[in-house]
Amino acid sequence: MVVFYRRMPKMDYMRPESIEEVLDLLAEEETGRYKIYAGGTDVIPKIKKRVMSPPQILIDLKGIKGLDYVDYDKKEGLRIGALASVRSVAESWIVKEKYPILSQASDSIASIQVRNRATIAGNICNAVPSADSAPALLTLDAELKCVSKRGERTIVINDFFKAPGATGLEPHEILKEIYFPALNENTKGIYIKLSPRSRMDLAVVGVAVLGTVENGLIKSVRIGLGAVAPVPIRALNAEALLAGSKIDDQIINDAAKTAALESKPIDDHRASAEYRRMMVEVLVRRGLKNIITNQFL
Amino acid sequence: MEKKKIRFTINGKRCEMEIKPWQTLLELIREDLKLTGTKEGCGEGECGSCTVIMGGRTVNSCLVPAMEADKQEILTIEGLSKGDKLHPIQEAFVEHSGMQCGFCTSGMIMSAKALLDENTDPSREEIREGISGNLCRCTGYAKIFESISAAAHAMKGEK
Amino acid sequence: MAEYSTIGKRVPRIDGRIKVTGDAKYAADYEMPGMLWCKIARSPHPHAKILDIDTSRAEKLPGVKGVLIGKDFGGWKWGWMPKTRDESPLAVDKVRYLGEAVAAVAAVDEDTTEEAAGLISVEYEILPGVFDSKEAMKDGAPQVHEHVKNNLSWDFHMDFGDVEKGFREADLVHEDRFETGRAITGYLEPPAAVALWDSSGITIWPAKQSPYFIYRHLAACFNLPLNKVRVIQPFIGGGFGGTKNDSLAGDFCSVMFSKMTGRPVKFIYSMEEVLRTCRRRHNMIVYNKMGMKRDGIITAMQSRVIADGGAYTAIGPLTMYLTGCISTLPYKLPNFKHDIYRIFTNNPISAAMRGHGVTHTRFAAEIQMEIMAEELGIDPVEVRLRNAITAPHETINKVTVHSCGLVDGIKTLSEHPVWKGKDKNRKNVDQISHGVGLSSSAYLGGARQRGHQSCGAVVRLCEDGTIDYLTGATDCGQGSDTVLVQIVAEELGIRIEDVDIKRVDTAYTPCDAGSYGSRVTVLAGEAARKAALDVRRQLADVASGIWNVGPEDIVFRAGNIYVKDSPDIKMPFKKLAQIACYSGAGAVIIGRGYSGYGIEELDFDKGVGNAGTSYSFTSQLTEVDVDMETGFVKCGRMVIAHDCGRPLNPVNVEAQSQGAAIQGMGQSIYERFVMDKGNTLNSNLADYKIPLSTDVPDIEFIDIIAEDPNGPYGAKEASEGAIVSSPPSIVSAIHDATGVWFKKLPVTPEKIAMALKGKNKNESL
Repeated sequence: MVVFYRRMPKMDYMRPESIEEVLDLLAEEETGRYKIYAGGTDVIPKIKKRVMSPPQILIDLKGIKGLDYVDYDKKEGLRIGALASVRSVAESWIVKEKYPILSQASDSIASIQVRNRATIAGNICNAVPSADSAPALLTLDAELKCVSKRGERTIVINDFFKAPGATGLEPHEILKEIYFPALNENTKGIYIKLSPRSRMDLAVVGVAVLGTVENGLIKSVRIGLGAVAPVPIRALNAEALLAGSKIDDQIINDAAKTAALESKPIDDHRASAEYRRMMVEVLVRRGLKNIITNQFL
Repeated sequence: MEKKKIRFTINGKRCEMEIKPWQTLLELIREDLKLTGTKEGCGEGECGSCTVIMGGRTVNSCLVPAMEADKQEILTIEGLSKGDKLHPIQEAFVEHSGMQCGFCTSGMIMSAKALLDENTDPSREEIREGISGNLCRCTGYAKIFESISAAAHAMKGEK
Repeated sequence: MAEYSTIGKRVPRIDGRIKVTGDAKYAADYEMPGMLWCKIARSPHPHAKILDIDTSRAEKLPGVKGVLIGKDFGGWKWGWMPKTRDESPLAVDKVRYLGEAVAAVAAVDEDTTEEAAGLISVEYEILPGVFDSKEAMKDGAPQVHEHVKNNLSWDFHMDFGDVEKGFREADLVHEDRFETGRAITGYLEPPAAVALWDSSGITIWPAKQSPYFIYRHLAACFNLPLNKVRVIQPFIGGGFGGTKNDSLAGDFCSVMFSKMTGRPVKFIYSMEEVLRTCRRRHNMIVYNKMGMKRDGIITAMQSRVIADGGAYTAIGPLTMYLTGCISTLPYKLPNFKHDIYRIFTNNPISAAMRGHGVTHTRFAAEIQMEIMAEELGIDPVEVRLRNAITAPHETINKVTVHSCGLVDGIKTLSEHPVWKGKDKNRKNVDQISHGVGLSSSAYLGGARQRGHQSCGAVVRLCEDGTIDYLTGATDCGQGSDTVLVQIVAEELGIRIEDVDIKRVDTAYTPCDAGSYGSRVTVLAGEAARKAALDVRRQLADVASGIWNVGPEDIVFRAGNIYVKDSPDIKMPFKKLAQIACYSGAGAVIIGRGYSGYGIEELDFDKGVGNAGTSYSFTSQLTEVDVDMETGFVKCGRMVIAHDCGRPLNPVNVEAQSQGAAIQGMGQSIYERFVMDKGNTLNSNLADYKIPLSTDVPDIEFIDIIAEDPNGPYGAKEASEGAIVSSPPSIVSAIHDATGVWFKKLPVTPEKIAMALKGKNKNESL
């Protein structure tokens, strides 16, 4: 029978007060017993619609104190705690000043009400191909600090996304912090989200371009693509084409075309693969022009 | 499954309740507290009809586990007016007919409040952004913009 | 022009306060002691025979108080007309669309109903389905309803003049194919109700735009006389036609459960349930043929339309009629032929949506006219002015227009800076191309096609001079309560605050056809006025006795009564009320009024005559900026010139038109259901894209005054015109920006980008 659910399924709720407590619970072998959440803006609707089987116990991570920081150090870089809300990242003056691409990407997620609750950590752990923070994180070479009872480890963002909805996190592991290396002073970046409405929507195509331009040469560039492959990806061939090159329209157009060829979009009800590929080219070109001339169209 | 006890402040009033651990904040507000001013539109956080202010921030209450209300301060539409005296935002909506069917209105006003609390002189663009998480099907938003603009002026005048 | 005290004034809505405080109660806000919840269980297949239903596991679940299946309704069916009764409260032997209701559960709380509904098992024999209207028309296609050949749900034909002759006389003839998309009304309040069956009969608080449909359906379904069915209207969270002007599974099942258990029963649909299973707007393929002379004068038009009706008939026959009955407006049309076929498919049911029927054919005709004018080198303003009707006018199908502000509206817009500056603004900065589009439309008001179309009003004078006003007309958000109160206050010369409009309650308020077809202000307004005048007459009689003057010399104004030409002979209205009520042994002062029309010829089958009391005329400019690479369209500005006769409440008229124009914009560029074999792929509000605050243009609204003799104070309908004028205006603007004529709605960024790349030259755009 098809039933339209308005109510959450029966579950219990816990709000541990330390990471250790959470890890202890997760280390219990029984699968499906627990589900952790922070903002809940992805997890709650999934459980409510019975897309995700309900856990026996919902674990609210927000009882853990001290994980919502946004800390910057000039030499070290930026650290975002797993429980920092998307809104706090988007509006942090230090993120706006030093990592504006991250601020833009964060601000493009869903709505204000969702951004007040959601976390960047949750956004990438949910791992939909169109996750708005992902392309920016890819360009920023983010590193994900994870922790479990076995200890701590770091996963680099390039190794994090495995498949739609699947990440490199182990079942008993949680993401604790996202680290962004310090950027060169001359680095400029932009996240361009293509979506039918101006707000609320999932990206049909999401393009992040981050680069350093010095003396008319592209010193380094990173291009992150979202919603055009099973996972968010880097357009490595396009980046290689641009590295060290002199800036001119030809190279920009070639790089954009190359990036489009690297993308592997699908047809779905939001857009066709062909259109998405076309838009990768358009947006990468615009992104590159933007970071070069700082003039957005 | 056992009910669990939570303590919270709602519209300035302290409350203690036993709730089902799986219910949402929206259900707590509407069904346990009988504050039916907050509406359920889509139940998935995509329409904003259920917007309330918790911990000083607007949230879609349909997506918040009610257990999280513990130790929190919650403000709903019913908490804006003081007795018979309407909040300036409510006054402005009445005067400028910023509603038609009224279903989105509670959520819309809460988002407007959060906007004006942070930005006392929003531009038209900032007003649009401020309520971009609240759908309205009736008005085309035009008179909502007017109402919020008028509210901003009124609230500045009072200070 | 008369000087009114409330009419024409910018009166704030009388229900504003109750809505901003959260005090207004909608259906889902009601609860009663001992209440049960009801949940509907639905079919996972779009087309299947029901072989067996096993409800035993559901029945055994603790807390479950009842389970219903289709047979429990004794074979009863309902429909818009006696001969179209094809829908059952729960499917009986077949399901015809994905998500059709098959069973229902009542339990002590909603959690339990949801669990129990999942425990009902049904054995189906899956049948091949048909999901495309043209496929469904072919011989050999799966039959959605037995005995309905070629899945023809309904057809409607009009033939006036001689179109072949008209085409021969033309210098240019075009044939184009247009298609309107799959859209839905989009109200934010899902259907809900609390139902109670007790010794007094049925009492129900449902979310309905018009209570009188469900009133009749319940009486018929439960074999009760009408006076035992009581529908009490809560506040309504938006209607826009379709679902809330009809009944649904939840309504019938909650009443049945209440009858079975003796307890009140409540149901609430989810938004996903609405988007997947409730009524939507029809989508139509319009083959339009137009003949034009070299000077732009239209000689003939022929439209052939295929409408996807979905799985059941619903209000389809009316939709079909409306697609043609005023195609002979707003331009002079000497020859017109119209053939429309509504086709059953295994898609969700298509029904009415604001702009009902007219949106589809007016879109086709407007765009085609512009295409042809462009070919002939005639300016869009010119071609409209040359063809526009003026009042008085009678069309070839005997639609009579007594007031018309069309030419005024077009001229006003042609002088507007947005239109005049369109070439100057066409700077094509970077990749953005600017465009402006013009459109015109007509829409009927005071709809009166079939069945019970009257309005009645009762005005009761309280002895302290305040008024109880009873009407069956529902304010589903459009602001009609305010306007009706204005009318009553106007005639009695008292304040709006002194008139209390009671909530519609079929036990007490007069029967009313409902809130649709833009009829409330026009028809309920007429009834209100007459009822108020009735009370005024009775009071004037009393005053004339006191002052020894003729009752015609008594003036009611500003809360006072006085003698004309001797204003110092006066008393407060309150005082007169008291005197009147206490005179002799006391008097009960009640005023009655009805809307009425002359008996006029209306041939519903052939499309002859007036479908409405009067007609609004709306012209619109839309300014767009198109990103020529991504195809994204931003509507920057709209200017709407709307002739609603006389705006009784200008704020309401603006507000309604703004909302309607944005709904039209939604249908033009954002909203569409993507279907796959009867399955709606985008059934949530993130993927079905209703415009947000950051998507909408600035809207300038211009009142065009053209008072109509048939409306209260000259009023005609407001706002449905704007939903009809928006799509052609936007599509024309997109053409202005891109050079491409798009004929298929919605015009999405992908369509535009592909067209500009020359990628789909052979496909219908």
